[in-house]
Amino acid sequence: MDLKRKLAILADAAKYDASCASSGSHRKREVKGIGNTEGMGICHSYTPDGRCISLLKLLLTNVCIWDCSYCINRRSSAVARARFKPEEVVRLTIDFYKRNYIEGLFLSSGIIQSADYTMEQLVLVAKTLRERERFGGYIHLKAVPGASKDLLFEAGKYADRLSANIEMPVQKDLDALAPEKTLREIEDTMADVKAGIDTAKDMAKRDGSTPHFARAGQSTQLVVGASESSDTVILSKAEALYNRFKLRRVYYSAFSPATHTDPALQNKPKTPPMREHRLYEADWLIRNYGFAAHEVTDGLDGGNLDLEKDPKLAWAIRHRHLFPVDVNRASKSLLLRIPGLGVRNVQRIVSIRRFHRIKLGDLARLNVTLSRAKWFVVTADHNPDVFRLDRTNFPDLFKPRAVQPSLFEPFTSAISAITGEL
Amino acid sequence: MIQVCFEHTFVGWRDAARRLVRSAVSPENVVWASDKQDILFEGEHVNGVVVDSPKIPPGFIELAESAACFDDHAKWDLMYRLLYRQVFENGNLLAIESDPDVCRLRLMAKAVRRDIHKFHAFVRFRRVECDNEEIFVAWHEPRHFTVEMATPFFARRFGSMNFSILTPKGCAHWDRCDLTFSPGVERSRAPSSDETEDFWLLYYRSIFNPLRLKTNAMKKELPVRHWPTLPEAVLIPELIRAAREKD
Repeated sequence: MDLKRKLAILADAAKYDASCASSGSHRKREVKGIGNTEGMGICHSYTPDGRCISLLKLLLTNVCIWDCSYCINRRSSAVARARFKPEEVVRLTIDFYKRNYIEGLFLSSGIIQSADYTMEQLVLVAKTLRERERFGGYIHLKAVPGASKDLLFEAGKYADRLSANIEMPVQKDLDALAPEKTLREIEDTMADVKAGIDTAKDMAKRDGSTPHFARAGQSTQLVVGASESSDTVILSKAEALYNRFKLRRVYYSAFSPATHTDPALQNKPKTPPMREHRLYEADWLIRNYGFAAHEVTDGLDGGNLDLEKDPKLAWAIRHRHLFPVDVNRASKSLLLRIPGLGVRNVQRIVSIRRFHRIKLGDLARLNVTLSRAKWFVVTADHNPDVFRLDRTNFPDLFKPRAVQPSLFEPFTSAISAITGEL
Repeated sequence: MIQVCFEHTFVGWRDAARRLVRSAVSPENVVWASDKQDILFEGEHVNGVVVDSPKIPPGFIELAESAACFDDHAKWDLMYRLLYRQVFENGNLLAIESDPDVCRLRLMAKAVRRDIHKFHAFVRFRRVECDNEEIFVAWHEPRHFTVEMATPFFARRFGSMNFSILTPKGCAHWDRCDLTFSPGVERSRAPSSDETEDFWLLYYRSIFNPLRLKTNAMKKELPVRHWPTLPEAVLIPELIRAAREKD
């Protein structure tokens, strides 16, 4: 099979892994080598699905001995198969990198023969890139669940990031859809990777060098909507993974039945893309805004996030008694809870208010999303909107426009004339 | 009114601004001339020195250096007004990010940083051979004057390759030793093909998922104005059309 045909098959097969991150690693270029990483990831292109191309994302092969129903590459799928020689992946990576198409390589694989054999093949590519080509760009390798600790440790030496995909939040879902996988085995692999990272950090601390083991940490991914598990179950699992294994990211992939879907899932409806989006927003609140998973999910209808409003706004509406918050006095952790106010703007507000009393106009110039924030804040000047907070029909304000009671229309348009928003 | 002729670079502005601020010349009385010349103060005579060494708050120089690359002559006046206000009105002004002047300068600096980031992302090298030597040449069209700030990145990353990055706003050349700059050129000076591009386009086509079309999300990060310099962008209309038909 010629290289172009292989590339078409094995890039197509790799696109279901959502991660394309290339940030968080630092490596200087070797004198005669090529490539470096400087901490900030770069998205070199974007495809019309809105996703970035930062890494050359490939499977080494899409042949797989496992039969996970949600996966297009499962054993029983009728998809075309191919397999790269390690050398071909090395060549493509270097050729692409030299033309500034990519930050590096994200290499995954179907499981061939055994977990160890597959992992060995992935490591071989990374090793060739680092040692022979003196490649200093970013490498993300799949950590194959069940691969030996030695192989994972070798992988971590060459890779900037490792990821073992959890796929499902509970064992019951795996039993139904991926009978050869166990949470236990996947989590053991995560634990091995974490051990590698921790050991490298300890050693580096002792001799004052930089750690050389998956500098950009580990991540994972799970499929949303192929099983019955609710967002509450998913987010509680994500939080547990963040805490136990210090993951950098959990990725969520909305299931949609495609040409080669397993008959068992063929009748499953397509997961709304908004569900995936809301999970990412909730995940963001857990990682950066000091929310606990249960705070985001307590009191949700059917355990799933509201598709119509973002989880922070939904939380604030459920906890109206905590508002309004005075932006000139409130603690940072409380500011972070105001809908429409991001982490960066919270930092700005804390810095500004040492010298200046913050008014609504200040928030507007900081690009705060006033259409959401204005209902929840007290500023140094008069904020007419905040008085709506105590009305029983307050939540109706955030219903989609079409179903908003017409009674409010004159009032809201008067408000939008003031703020230019809504 | 004082008409200031100065070299239109950060350093040119800085030298002029330093003299003006030491004499406490109010920004309302300064016109930053659009002709490039050596520093020259015309019109009303500048007062003697009022403040010997004005205190410039930390962070301002870095911010102004970025803003100085912004493609709008109004930046020079804004930079001076902020400098003046910091020295004579409020040394903490920069911390008040909602102040209209601070806000504008930060937005300019942010636009420049974004332009540099997109520069790093969207340069596409094409390999050519010249006297048996390999050289990688790219054509890029930055929005702001970012060639000098953006290109050291490529020297760090591709230090073992010879390369030239050509743009209408200036060119950068790396000979595996030094980074040098030359005036802007036209696009026809850049090579028009590369043997690896077929593979790159094939990859772009294959990694795209037609089941989740989000063209606005793409355009937000890959602005249409960059499409003409990106080889893969020729595929975009066709991929969108095919995905819509499938749906």
